[in-house]
Amino acid sequence: MSMDVLVAGLGNEYRSDDGAGPAVAAYVSERMSRVVSKVISEPLDLIGAWDDADLAVVVDATRSGSPPGAVQLVDLGAGEDAGSSAGPMSSHGMDLPRVLRLARAMGHAPRRVVVVGIEGENFADGVGLSPAVALAVSEASELVLQVIDEASSCA
Amino acid sequence: MTHQRPADSRTVHVEGLARVEGEGSLLVEVRDGTVETVELEIFEPPRFFEAFLRGRRHTEPPDITARICGICPVAYQTSACLAIEDACGVSVTDQIAALRRLLYCGEWIQSHALHVHFLHAPDFFGCQDAVELAGLDLPAVQRGLEIKKVGNQLMEVVGGRAIHPVNVRVGGFYRAPSREELGALVDPLRRALDAALTSVQWVAGFEFPEIEIDYRFVSLRHPDYYAIESGRIVSSEGLDVDAKGISDLVVEDHVARSNALHARLGGQDMYLTGPLSRYALNYGQLSPLAHEAAAAAGLGAVCNNPFKSITVRAVELVYACEEALRIIEAYEPPDPPAVAVPGRAGVGHGASEAPRGLLFHRYELDDDGLIRSARIVPPTSQNLLCMEDDLRRVAQANLSLPDEELGWLCEQTVRNYDPCISCATHFLDVTVERR
Repeated sequence: MSMDVLVAGLGNEYRSDDGAGPAVAAYVSERMSRVVSKVISEPLDLIGAWDDADLAVVVDATRSGSPPGAVQLVDLGAGEDAGSSAGPMSSHGMDLPRVLRLARAMGHAPRRVVVVGIEGENFADGVGLSPAVALAVSEASELVLQVIDEASSCA
Repeated sequence: MTHQRPADSRTVHVEGLARVEGEGSLLVEVRDGTVETVELEIFEPPRFFEAFLRGRRHTEPPDITARICGICPVAYQTSACLAIEDACGVSVTDQIAALRRLLYCGEWIQSHALHVHFLHAPDFFGCQDAVELAGLDLPAVQRGLEIKKVGNQLMEVVGGRAIHPVNVRVGGFYRAPSREELGALVDPLRRALDAALTSVQWVAGFEFPEIEIDYRFVSLRHPDYYAIESGRIVSSEGLDVDAKGISDLVVEDHVARSNALHARLGGQDMYLTGPLSRYALNYGQLSPLAHEAAAAAGLGAVCNNPFKSITVRAVELVYACEEALRIIEAYEPPDPPAVAVPGRAGVGHGASEAPRGLLFHRYELDDDGLIRSARIVPPTSQNLLCMEDDLRRVAQANLSLPDEELGWLCEQTVRNYDPCISCATHFLDVTVERR
């Protein structure tokens, strides 16, 4: 495999289910050492981390109204619309769609971006995932590994 | 933004102020050619941090209050540590104090780099955001990102991670970084310093609205250094008090339109904290290189134009990079990394300079070191009255502008402050009414 792959676990492990992304990054890191897995606290830090990647899989906790632990995959490809931002840009961080638009404007976007979301239940201060979210970590991780395998076989 | 424009009376309502933190709105009413009402309405819900600190152990405020803000947690941690140490009658060693200042430099670098390049600069190019700005001036956006990353690195090495550092404790740190760990930051910091100097030149070339305001400046001042993490509180009118003194002097009022308290000195006078105040009251403590950069940017010893706060922030960015390098060069790892701070009954105060202004805390502890009461006064609360006053002046001086342009200028006026409305409550919609 000659692909450069980044798995970015987006989130804060100290905000309960927001730690789902980092938990998946750790899981993938243990099972596939050839990919770079990183925990990213702030989406803006993706720029720099994913610049030379052929594939970036961003794993994040979601709040979409789905049942807790529901796993969703969104393939943003090489230039698809990343979707609208949740709100105006703030001094305290940018969301993933805006960061992807900025990265593309700066010429720092990976060739393909896949987002894997795990629906969270509890985002309060504290460590530890809700039972449904903890159960979903392995499902989401296997999905990430599958995406990487499929991309590698096509490369 | 809504538009009603009969003759010289009108209402402009900008219903979403971007590039600030928190939720609020702005109403400007104009009647017969005169700005009659300016109200900054803060409806970000109150967060009750002061209430749920009651009954917690004296060692907990640094970690709990850091959660008030994702961009200035070090300010909260530092002011909290200073206040608790004051209550317990403990002073930290010079080495611990230096490490605290180094961590704080990391926060200034992160915060100022983000605000200067990503949040404030787009205003001067007529851009909605940094994504648009990247299309016009890609090197500037890249430079901002590179500087911010160095701030992140500094926070990670000293604080344990880039956001909400986990290495800070009352009395010092859980672990002191080695000289080698800090040594690895020297080259990145030198590059950040060069980049910051370029950014000072960049922002100095912006076109600024012409306005001069005779502010009552208030900030920390340290006899030896540009004030960041310690010092007495001074003003442009001769005030010179310690953290207790400012806590006693500042009276906060609740107003119906806002979930943020409005602070006044002595219960009467509005005052300004933040970069313009620090600069005016601490100009002499800046480094020669920062003086040179400021002079080349056209700044004198005092800057009264709030729109030029972006230039002052860029100069402070230069200073923070230099100061971090200076501290690293002289670094002696504190051993132990923290002094013991046994809990006891008492009252303590602490003040430090968050990137956006003065932040002070007061705690009362009981015999067991449990918190009986807490008071946290963030910079945005202290600046709200000045923000409204600036808005009144800017709106009045620019009534000839169409509503959309006037609304934009009003938003920019608020962004001059890099306000953190979440910290103050406690997004901003802007309404200008002409009647």
